[in-house]
Amino acid sequence: MEALTPKLVGARVKRLEDRRLLTGQGSYVDDFRPPGLLHAAFLRSPHAHARIVRLDPAAARALPGVAAVATGAEIARLTRPVRALSKMKEYRVTSFPPLALGKVRFAGEAVAAVVAASRYVAEDGLDRILVDYEPLPAVSHMEAAMGAGAALLHEETGSNLLLAREFATGDVDSAIAGAAVVVRERFRFRRHTAVCLENRGCLAEYHEGTGLLTLRSATQCPGLVRDILADLLDLPEHRIRVIAADVGGGFGAKSSLYPEEITVAALALWLRRPVKWISDRREDLLATSQAWDEIVEAELALGADGTIVGLRAEVTADVGAYSIYPWTAAIEPVQTISFLPGPYRVPHYRAHARGVTTCKAPMGPYRGVGRPVAAFVMEGLMDRAARLLGLDPTELRLRNFIRPEDFPYKSPSGIVWDRAGFTETMLRARETLGYEAARAEQAQARAEGRWIGVGFASYVELTGIGSAIPVSPGMPVATGTEAATVRVDPSGTVTAIFGIASHGQGLETSLAQVVAEEMGLPLEHVRVVHGDTALSPYGTGTYASRSAVLAGGAGILAGRAVREKAFTIAAHLLEADPADLVVNGGRVAVRGTPDRGVTFREIANAAYSGARRLPRGMEPGLEATRFYDPYFGTASSATHAAIVEVDRETYEVTIRRYVVVEDCGRIINPLIVEGQVHGGVVQGAGAALLEEVVYDGAGQLLTGTLMDYLVPAATLVPTMEVHHVETPSPTALGGFRGMGEGGTIGAPAAIANAVADALSPLGIEVSELPITPERLFRAMPDSGGADRGSRA
Amino acid sequence: MKPAPFEYHVPTTVEEALAHLRHYGGEAKVLAGGQSLMPLLNFRLSRPAALVDINRIGALSYIEEENGTLRLGALTRQRAIERSDVVRSRLPLLTEATALVGHLPIRTRGTIGGSLAHADPSAEYPAVLTALEGQVVARGAGGERILRPEEFFRTYLTTTLGPDEILTEVRLPIPPPGSGWAFEEFSRRHGDFALVGIAVLLLVEGTRCAKARLVAAGAGPVPARLRGAEEILERDGLTEQSFEAAAARAAELVEPDSDIHASAAFRRHLTRVFTLRALRKAARRIHGGH
Ligand SMILES: Cc1cc2nc3c(=O)[nH]c(=O)nc-3n(C[C@H](O)[C@H](O)[C@H](O)COP(=O)(O)OP(=O)(O)OC[C@H]3O[C@@H](n4cnc5c(N)ncnc54)[C@H](O)[C@@H]3O)c2cc1C
Repeated sequence: MEALTPKLVGARVKRLEDRRLLTGQGSYVDDFRPPGLLHAAFLRSPHAHARIVRLDPAAARALPGVAAVATGAEIARLTRPVRALSKMKEYRVTSFPPLALGKVRFAGEAVAAVVAASRYVAEDGLDRILVDYEPLPAVSHMEAAMGAGAALLHEETGSNLLLAREFATGDVDSAIAGAAVVVRERFRFRRHTAVCLENRGCLAEYHEGTGLLTLRSATQCPGLVRDILADLLDLPEHRIRVIAADVGGGFGAKSSLYPEEITVAALALWLRRPVKWISDRREDLLATSQAWDEIVEAELALGADGTIVGLRAEVTADVGAYSIYPWTAAIEPVQTISFLPGPYRVPHYRAHARGVTTCKAPMGPYRGVGRPVAAFVMEGLMDRAARLLGLDPTELRLRNFIRPEDFPYKSPSGIVWDRAGFTETMLRARETLGYEAARAEQAQARAEGRWIGVGFASYVELTGIGSAIPVSPGMPVATGTEAATVRVDPSGTVTAIFGIASHGQGLETSLAQVVAEEMGLPLEHVRVVHGDTALSPYGTGTYASRSAVLAGGAGILAGRAVREKAFTIAAHLLEADPADLVVNGGRVAVRGTPDRGVTFREIANAAYSGARRLPRGMEPGLEATRFYDPYFGTASSATHAAIVEVDRETYEVTIRRYVVVEDCGRIINPLIVEGQVHGGVVQGAGAALLEEVVYDGAGQLLTGTLMDYLVPAATLVPTMEVHHVETPSPTALGGFRGMGEGGTIGAPAAIANAVADALSPLGIEVSELPITPERLFRAMPDSGGADRGSRA
Repeated sequence: MKPAPFEYHVPTTVEEALAHLRHYGGEAKVLAGGQSLMPLLNFRLSRPAALVDINRIGALSYIEEENGTLRLGALTRQRAIERSDVVRSRLPLLTEATALVGHLPIRTRGTIGGSLAHADPSAEYPAVLTALEGQVVARGAGGERILRPEEFFRTYLTTTLGPDEILTEVRLPIPPPGSGWAFEEFSRRHGDFALVGIAVLLLVEGTRCAKARLVAAGAGPVPARLRGAEEILERDGLTEQSFEAAAARAAELVEPDSDIHASAAFRRHLTRVFTLRALRKAARRIHGGH
């Protein structure tokens, strides 16, 4: 049996969900207004670190329209505190109460919740809650936080150091001591936050008759949220339904469990009324998980011919006030040292990571997790080494890439790279850019006094992670499987139900392509359902570039099972041998005699008609549920190349050209892959040039509006040239590799290297991101700026 | 981010609006385009007892030319100014500056009176008013007061407008034909408030610079007239050397603050860069050049 339908996997199919989303037909949390709805607002701490001496909600409770005011103590009676566990040896578990208990640890932490007839009244209620805080010293700098005199944030741990981890292979100290050249740098990647078009938000309803609690949430992980809510609220799992209908962007920041989700669910149970909370932009900037914020001291040692001999690094991460569930505070720093060696052969390696708690919003996953920092550091070191050795930076990379004959390659941090086209992506990027010509133009521009630079970055990431490795280091939550149910109704149309949740990636389209192709059906016969724990088989959600690989694999298995049964039924109806059947456009026919066929509709109808029309002994019905576990995971890689110009007077950086050559294995839909690259590169460019969460020394957020936290606007975004190298995964079903995060991994490094290249005649290195005009101004030798130096 | 409760009035005449303002004795706020006031209300940083919405007072929206002066009703939308042919032909400096105010949706609602009354020192209009030596008309119970920029802007977000006064008109003298002008600014992203903005007006008589007006936005608590730099141009004429000297002087004269977007030192540097760019551009435009 085989499918003759025109290939759907690999086709540039326009996204099926876009019509709905672009014409305002999407349904987001805030679109749901059940009868009797109440609105919640959260009182947020104005202090970075303080003891709550007294909290008096009486005046708020007395306000007409206020249904309830919940304090930390009351919510603590209804739920358990969240504790993100880890099997890592050096990890200190801490509690994250849904509403502050006795103490606040960051400015913006939720202290109380008012539930009222409208959000307006709820906010009026917030005004009337009296809180006496006894301010404690703010812990705002990660390095100072580890010092002797620092205030302790979590009394239960006895230290602000929440975790430490080391990876070591070989003898790096000797390798560095004996190396021909060593480059060193202290890199600083500043704090970021995801700015989703749709803010966070949730709506909880408790149905007394059925005992069912439904939580609609703008989350990436409905399954994960359902599991933990059952535990925290002490409800049976089958009485909790979590729905993430349309979600307006997540970028990792909506993949964690949030205090507001727990509180709103608890309030709905308590009040027996639907309760909704929609975060406003200020709350999103204050209390949504933040990212990156690391100091990396790193040394790269090479032989005289440019061969890498060793890499040593110390990573310190500011993980904020709480260890976020389920990923824990380890996710960013440990990912950084896991991926620091990049796509290179690094024989001797030792890297140590620490996570330090401070009075800031908790650190969580953000598109790229650890790898944007890792690539910035490693690629920055590679360029420094190339300059020192007088080698072309692309040549140095080509000499050190893991080669085809090395696969599968076990990285010094223990990750296995199945296979990837590192060399091909670099060669194609050079060719696309017209590398020689670009260098010639640069020389010409330099002669005219312009600052033009060319920068490259190559990286590899682990995507589609199976059960062999937890997605976040040491995390005891199972993230290695996903499932699909493929259900054919009597009319022959297909509903494919997944536990993942699409929040802008176009998964309704790519998964429909995968299932339709496997079943030999036209695309429009398959409807994808996702993001609803009551409808889907067990799954956790969408994160870590996993859904194409895990849900795609499950979709293939379930689609295949259904197709096989359909063929058996067709063979019975046609009195033919199943092996002689072919399917084309939803019709199954005998090979060579197209007239002898049945439509999928007839097959489905037969499947539900009972014994009369089915082969003897066959169970009626036409559906299958299959689980898929890719076990290890797949390597996704790319080379990014940027040409930038730095204005000699304003120090503004303009991206002139941007080239991406990526390898995500077998491509399901090039349009979607390119869209994901485009979006990721824009976020990476924001990281390189604009975005920075700033807290002052007292722990107050200075970037609390979008006039201060600068996300990229259209004028920053260059036309991107995206090309593909397809190295199908040898292990994952379908040959797919995950690719949702890559753009954000490569772009900061490529842009930083391009700026450093532009400024190399001045001897200025880029060691801090974002590269703001202010930082470049201060780095200029003749700036007269406050602190002169040669670092930007 | 929901405002605290307030009462709401929608008068259709200035007299009616003034009566409401008087009634609340300083506790009411005028609502024009809302582009600055609404965020303040939503953050509950401003908690007026009442809003007096002047958007239905049609008589406050006009652009008229009279005796060498352009008169703009306070409620005239920034977008209307940007698209006005009269403004483009008589006061292209205002057209150029307007295009730099925020983004299109903001200019569609935002008004010239609102921008001036809000008195953000980084905003474009206060700098233009100052460079053109225009006037604003404030109407209150006691009648009208006509105020020059230095009488109007007091400090950050503060003017001498009384709580029961309404800004009704902006008067901008039209420079003689053949003048040079430019508005140049630097912002981190297109449409953001400027880190530094420079308004330039150059009036020439023969080869002499009869009058130079140089004003910096974002360089102190009020739009900064850079008199010392103007004097260099009026004394030494319009040469590349005098431009450079004026730009250097401008950088000394400004008193910018440091914030997360730029240090005072960088703003000084930008003042020099953009003064020079603006002067060169203005000089090219003298006698209709581009
Ligand atoms: C994202 C964003 C970007 C922006 N960028 C810029 C920029 O780059 N440059 C810039 O200049 N501006 C910018 N603005 C501000 C914008 O120009 C505002 O429109 C302007 O500052 C206020 O005008 P308004 O009509 O909206 O006034 P409102 O917001 O309604 O009022 C502002 C203040 O003026 C008072 N007021 C208004 N009209 C009168 C009147 N006739 N008499 C007495 N008092 C009055 C109000 O009581 C209030 O105190 C930006 C705004 C936003 C939201």
